[in-house]
Amino acid sequence: MSRQTKKKLYTLFRFTALGIWFCIVAFPVYWIVATSFKPDHEWFAWPPVYWSATPTMDNYKSVWTSYTKTLATQEAESMQKPWIALQNSLIISLVATTITVFFGTLLAYGVSRYRILSEVRMFNLLMFRMIPPIVVAVPISIYYSNIGLIDTVTGLAIIYIITTLPYAVWMTKSFIDEVPIEIEQAAAILGASKWRTIGEVIFPLVRSGVVATFLFILILTWSEYLMALILTKTDVVTLPIQLAKYEGATEGRVYGRQAALAVGITIPLVVIGCLIRKHLVRGFSFGMVKKR
Amino acid sequence: MATTFEIRKKQRSGIAIFKWSLLTPFFLLLLFLLPVFLLQIYFSFHSWSVYLSTWWEADFVGFDTFAEVLSDERFHWSILRSLIFASASTAGCFVVGFGLALLMYRPFKGHGVYYVFFILPMLTVPVVIAYTFEMLLYQKGPVNGILSALLGTDINVIWLAHPTMAVITVILLEIWNWTPFTFIIMLAGLSALPEELNEAARILGASRWRIFREIHLPLLRPVIFLAVILRFLEAIGEFPKTWALLQGGPGSATETIPVYLFMTTWDYFQISKGAAMSYLVMIVMILIVLSAIRILMHEKKNLDEMYQAKETGE
Amino acid sequence: MGGDKGKTQGRLSRRQFVTGALATAAAGPWVLRGGGLAHAGAEEDAIIAAAKKAKKTDLNGMIWSLYYRNMRELEKEFRSRAGYGVGKIQDISVFQIPQRALAEAVSRSNKFDFFHLDSNMIPSLASAGLLEPLDGYMKEAGFKLEMVGNFGSFMKYRGKTYGIPTDGNVHIQYIRKDMLENPDEQKAFADKHGKPLKWPETWEDHQQVLEWFHRPEKGIIGSGSLRNRANGVTWWYMYFHSAGGFPFDDDLNPTLNTPAGRYAIDTYLNLKKVSHPEAPGWGTPQMIPQIAGGKVFSCQYWDGTISQIEGPKSKTQGKFSYGLVPGSKLSGNLVHRSISSPLASIMINKHSPRKRQAAYFAMYMATLKNSTDIVSHRSFTFHDPWHPGHFEGPHSAKVKEAYTPSGVKAIKDNLLVTTPPVYLTGHREFQDVLGKHISEAYVGQIKAKDVLTKTEKAWAKLVRQIGKKKLKGELASYKAAFPKVNKPG
Repeated sequence: MSRQTKKKLYTLFRFTALGIWFCIVAFPVYWIVATSFKPDHEWFAWPPVYWSATPTMDNYKSVWTSYTKTLATQEAESMQKPWIALQNSLIISLVATTITVFFGTLLAYGVSRYRILSEVRMFNLLMFRMIPPIVVAVPISIYYSNIGLIDTVTGLAIIYIITTLPYAVWMTKSFIDEVPIEIEQAAAILGASKWRTIGEVIFPLVRSGVVATFLFILILTWSEYLMALILTKTDVVTLPIQLAKYEGATEGRVYGRQAALAVGITIPLVVIGCLIRKHLVRGFSFGMVKKR
Repeated sequence: MATTFEIRKKQRSGIAIFKWSLLTPFFLLLLFLLPVFLLQIYFSFHSWSVYLSTWWEADFVGFDTFAEVLSDERFHWSILRSLIFASASTAGCFVVGFGLALLMYRPFKGHGVYYVFFILPMLTVPVVIAYTFEMLLYQKGPVNGILSALLGTDINVIWLAHPTMAVITVILLEIWNWTPFTFIIMLAGLSALPEELNEAARILGASRWRIFREIHLPLLRPVIFLAVILRFLEAIGEFPKTWALLQGGPGSATETIPVYLFMTTWDYFQISKGAAMSYLVMIVMILIVLSAIRILMHEKKNLDEMYQAKETGE
Repeated sequence: MGGDKGKTQGRLSRRQFVTGALATAAAGPWVLRGGGLAHAGAEEDAIIAAAKKAKKTDLNGMIWSLYYRNMRELEKEFRSRAGYGVGKIQDISVFQIPQRALAEAVSRSNKFDFFHLDSNMIPSLASAGLLEPLDGYMKEAGFKLEMVGNFGSFMKYRGKTYGIPTDGNVHIQYIRKDMLENPDEQKAFADKHGKPLKWPETWEDHQQVLEWFHRPEKGIIGSGSLRNRANGVTWWYMYFHSAGGFPFDDDLNPTLNTPAGRYAIDTYLNLKKVSHPEAPGWGTPQMIPQIAGGKVFSCQYWDGTISQIEGPKSKTQGKFSYGLVPGSKLSGNLVHRSISSPLASIMINKHSPRKRQAAYFAMYMATLKNSTDIVSHRSFTFHDPWHPGHFEGPHSAKVKEAYTPSGVKAIKDNLLVTTPPVYLTGHREFQDVLGKHISEAYVGQIKAKDVLTKTEKAWAKLVRQIGKKKLKGELASYKAAFPKVNKPG
């Protein structure tokens, strides 16, 4: 085979393979969107309805508008409107993620430059992440009830900070490692304080890594289910928990409403994901690759 | 001399302050969590029945609960199931993720679109994935429908109601959900490969396959280990998809460690048993993590040495 | 029941009254409250009068919105009359509430004032110290809990009332009338089996008729009864109880590996032939569309599905007939036993400072007039009838409109022979262990005969853990919930 044909064959193979995976990924996503526009009887139809002939906005209206307006007509409803869940989810995940990334970056800097924790200890940090949350669920809920943190935004945020911090440290450290120490020394000679050096010299250089870390941790906190299920009651509800409420015992599962809510849950992450995709790859090397 | 010494001393104390200003909040956070682990220890060494007394009145039973858990057949099975689930889904994520990364790391037209779509599953909330696949996977549902149309024969796979298929289904879902993670890690690894080595090897007449096997793979080893280890550990803890779709069924086919733990503590309210089980799981996880750390440190050292050799060699 | 000491001297005690009413009901005529209906609103007025004396404060509740929406109008009415109502609710599925309520018991929290959940959790929750006995409040407000047949004992545990019902869940028999009554089918069936095709009286008849009509190639499945891990066990109880089985002997030794137990597991597994291949993975979200969509010939299902089938959007309107679930002759007599699980009722948190107010609110939802409004809602079909007045008397017209007269009769008949699942402390674990083994046998992971021995072993251990003495003390309230009649009159 000539080199030319080989290359052509490779291109063919490449796009077939990519195309197949593209379909595998895109189809379920398409299905969520399509379902959110389907009327009730088409959610679980035999044979399946691939695109509704009579698309409707009812699912969105029912999920996102005020309770009383649709009460009279809707079969399945949640009393707690997702706006509150959305607000809680936004506050919890943004606050937790910001603190985690900020603190994680500082720790990573300390580790990278001053070895405030040895590398082995750093790895040990990962253990926090690796304890399945279910393992500590009961003591946490008892402890939280006693110190008044159950059913609060703060309580949930603290848990998320602790469980995601290892990732933040690990991801940002690999970027800080890449910044030549000479730059800092230069800044120090010019009389910049440690904090100023971090803020004005180091941070701009590792921005892409920090951004990638931010997104990854946002994903983890935004979609967390188990802790949110166990540690919330009436005052706080997050979106993944809200989603499970659209479920009927005699009407069947309310797929259309769930889909309408799911679209709302997923869009913010997708938008952020698109915006920062360039930074993402670099952030995921966890210090295991050397910069060329 | 004196002045340099003083500057150093000043620097050192400055570093100490800096160090502790970072570490103090960190240790405070750990301290905050301490009661959780103490409570867990308390529960695992006391026999507490929710129905008989308050938790602070429970009887001390020593290692009895641990012995009970260790002899519990359901627990053994759940460990086995979790290991199968985690290994298979990790292997799947890795193969697909690495494959995609190999196909993607040299940019082409439309690269960005693929990229965005490929990371989409990771951005989707696990509960949403579970409910969506419930709609897709019934016997006369879209997935079988499309497969039948593509293959030209009637495909009637029972995805969720057959014990073996149900396990395969949750593994496939985990692969669908988390392939982006290994994909991105491998992409990061691949794009960091030194181009010069490639060139040099090609000039020496090495085939593509040889370059990949003898140059790329050794350099990628640490990244591969990292991807596999992280994925495996996260997969052990997978709960929302399995629970939302199957609650451990059909039969006990998908009763993995997190599912069984959830049932023991939140359905049966056997808090002590759950706590002892948690400790055993935690110990196993810590052992896995520790050995993983050893592997990673070792790999990283090798890599550093390799690069050093390269640099000095040049 | 503890509340009427002293006052009942010389009169019938309430237990005697209930037993008496039961006997009369069993004998045939439908008994309404003694003295007939008081003037409309009297029951409500008494509750409001008592409620007004309590401090005005808003209540927190754990209740699924699919249930709560029927109560919203009444909640407003209660608020305008009593001066307080429901403030916040935690809206979670009725299947999740048992766990969450137990978690509240563990932390002794006073966050919630009432919980709306399966009454079969009463022993567990009362043992965990969560529940407030309601007899005192009921007496104060002049509220009498009246439920069809023996149903009232589902709300009682060790002589005290802990739950106020809102929903009379029971399994009833659904059969496709158009298919069963088709003359061609009748003739073909009689020719083949040498007996007429009719409404199945026993589980054996049921099996035979279902095998006759099981036509998967035409899109008709014989049985639409659930076979998944979480719910399938509910059906097993019907077979077991109708064969004369009771899960424990008087010394709390499990008695599953008995003729009745073996009969039940065989009946359960035989239906696999006429069930959908995906049944072991299907819960109600998948099954209801099948039933209401006309793809199922027969099933025993929760009574609320009637109003789904007869609803305006339904494809199967008028195509089903409703009746008593089949029975078994294994014990010598033909015995019919249905099952009530979950049976949604309101329970009050003992740790709450607002428990008094919550109790009044709960009773207000359960007066004859108000509960009729709740159970007969045409589009929100979650609550089903349970009060004797829902079936006869001036209020029953509304209920009949929602459930059709034959549906109402079917509900009543099944309520008269309904049973609880394991009504003991530890209900969830008892039930789940059994359900797990049954499900394992159904999908072929273990042998049918191992279901009973394995479950017995696990139950014996559980009995030891919870305490044999304690559970023995509960046996009486468990047995009291069983009907005394074999077949409704």
